[in-house]
Amino acid sequence: MTPEELTSKIKTTLPDKVEELPAVTGIPAFKVRPEHLEEVCRILFSDPDLHFDNLPCLGGIDYPETNEIGVVYCLFSFARRHHLNLRVMMPRENPEVITVSEFWLAADWFERETAELFGIKFKDHPDPRPLLLIEEWDEGYPMRKDWEGKDFIRMPEVGQEK
Amino acid sequence: MVVNPSDRVEPASGGRELETQEFVVNMGPQHPSTHGVCRLILTMDGEVLKKIVPDIGFLHRSIEKIAENRTYHQFMIYTDRIDYVASMNANHAWCVAVEKLAAIEVPERAEYLRVIMAELNRIASHLVFLASFSIDLGAVTPFLYAFRERERIVDLFEMTCGQRLTYNYMRIGGVSRDVPKGFVSETKKFCKYLYPRVDEYEAILTENPIFLGRTKGIGILDLPTAIGYSVSGPPLRGSGLKWDIRKDEPYSAYEKFDFDIPTGLNGDTWDRYKVRIEEMRQSARIVEQALDGLPEGEIKAKIPARFRPPEGEVFARIEAPRGEMAYFIVSDGSTKPYRVKIRTASFCNLQALPVMGEGFKIADLVAIFGSLDIILPEVDR
Repeated sequence: MTPEELTSKIKTTLPDKVEELPAVTGIPAFKVRPEHLEEVCRILFSDPDLHFDNLPCLGGIDYPETNEIGVVYCLFSFARRHHLNLRVMMPRENPEVITVSEFWLAADWFERETAELFGIKFKDHPDPRPLLLIEEWDEGYPMRKDWEGKDFIRMPEVGQEK
Repeated sequence: MVVNPSDRVEPASGGRELETQEFVVNMGPQHPSTHGVCRLILTMDGEVLKKIVPDIGFLHRSIEKIAENRTYHQFMIYTDRIDYVASMNANHAWCVAVEKLAAIEVPERAEYLRVIMAELNRIASHLVFLASFSIDLGAVTPFLYAFRERERIVDLFEMTCGQRLTYNYMRIGGVSRDVPKGFVSETKKFCKYLYPRVDEYEAILTENPIFLGRTKGIGILDLPTAIGYSVSGPPLRGSGLKWDIRKDEPYSAYEKFDFDIPTGLNGDTWDRYKVRIEEMRQSARIVEQALDGLPEGEIKAKIPARFRPPEGEVFARIEAPRGEMAYFIVSDGSTKPYRVKIRTASFCNLQALPVMGEGFKIADLVAIFGSLDIILPEVDR
């Protein structure tokens, strides 16, 4: 399927569940509300034409200006050879979204990483222990934009150094 | 001890059924066969693995956070440190992603040089795999042979960019410098030299009964599980899927070269080994073709020092020696990326280790772990 066909197919299969985002580098992108994520992923995973069998990448993203935090899902289909990016946005206070490890096993570690670095809770995660940080870590969520660490210095924008 | 005949002595338990108990063994973080700092918590029943729980993060440097704090050019040196065994490929992945984001045209000569370097580094990386894998299994000779050949590749890189480990050769829009005089002929000589050497490794290992006993039917990874865990690279091809990003989603100049994608049948440790051996030959073929067709011209597109890609996002991936290496970049139009997510092959491949290892013996775990060719800085980032 070409990206355009894929976009229209998803829009007809999942009306009111997804919101189209601009596809910047050729990969269709959609925004999904957290409460619809499970249903959307189930259809993306099981629909024979969409058949997204692979999750190559999952990561968090933080927008303090608009008080939003989100998760980006990069999906791929080996069977149909097409890509898709999904985005779920939530308010920054107590963000919670359902795990997708039910569909893609690879989500397990990706979500554990995102949970500890961004402070996003993944509901029904099979193994919600921290993954990368030390056990006694208590300095907040380092990948959030407003995180302050004792050795962390923010570099100025190039051309505006003193 | 003197036993008084009037004391009662309990006889030995002889043929009685012995009670067994599961126990936990801690393997690593510092273990010679983990090739880095990785801890595996093993639940054992005698010699048999009941449960494997990898514990990672000992090398976590938060490179993704560093990336948000550096310009696109400055981040290049950090990509070297994500995968230090194949840093040409790690450089390449960053270049491909940023160039896709900013729609930069790369001169053809630069693309050819990148392909040459990436493929030479793939050979070097697979040689390190061969060396460490064979020494894990107790064969010392291939270790010495493989490092002998790798030395020649490292010499070629040193000739080109002055570095022997973290090359930092590529730049956004091209490469940092042209290859020196004599590079083309030396590399051609090396390729000619490599083919019989690969045959030599195969003569030592491939049909060796001890090697077969340690690898055939060990650590089987079936294809649905591999796809589910997003396993990529030689482990995925070893499980039987003919998938290679160089062929299926060509980047750089790969669509111009003729090469085969080796695959395995059973997804066992032997298949993963065999796929890598064959890939070395294919990489040498690509290098030869690229050297023959190396065009003249510019080696770098003109990119300003204060490089600002347009607002947007990109997901771009390449085939690194360990599998798929991808960057997801979100740009806000400034000189620094807003968010960089680094997807590395080892991270996903290691996740499949419990599925592959459970039910086998602890000695097999070393072989299975070796056959995944994990590199820990890439797992922890």
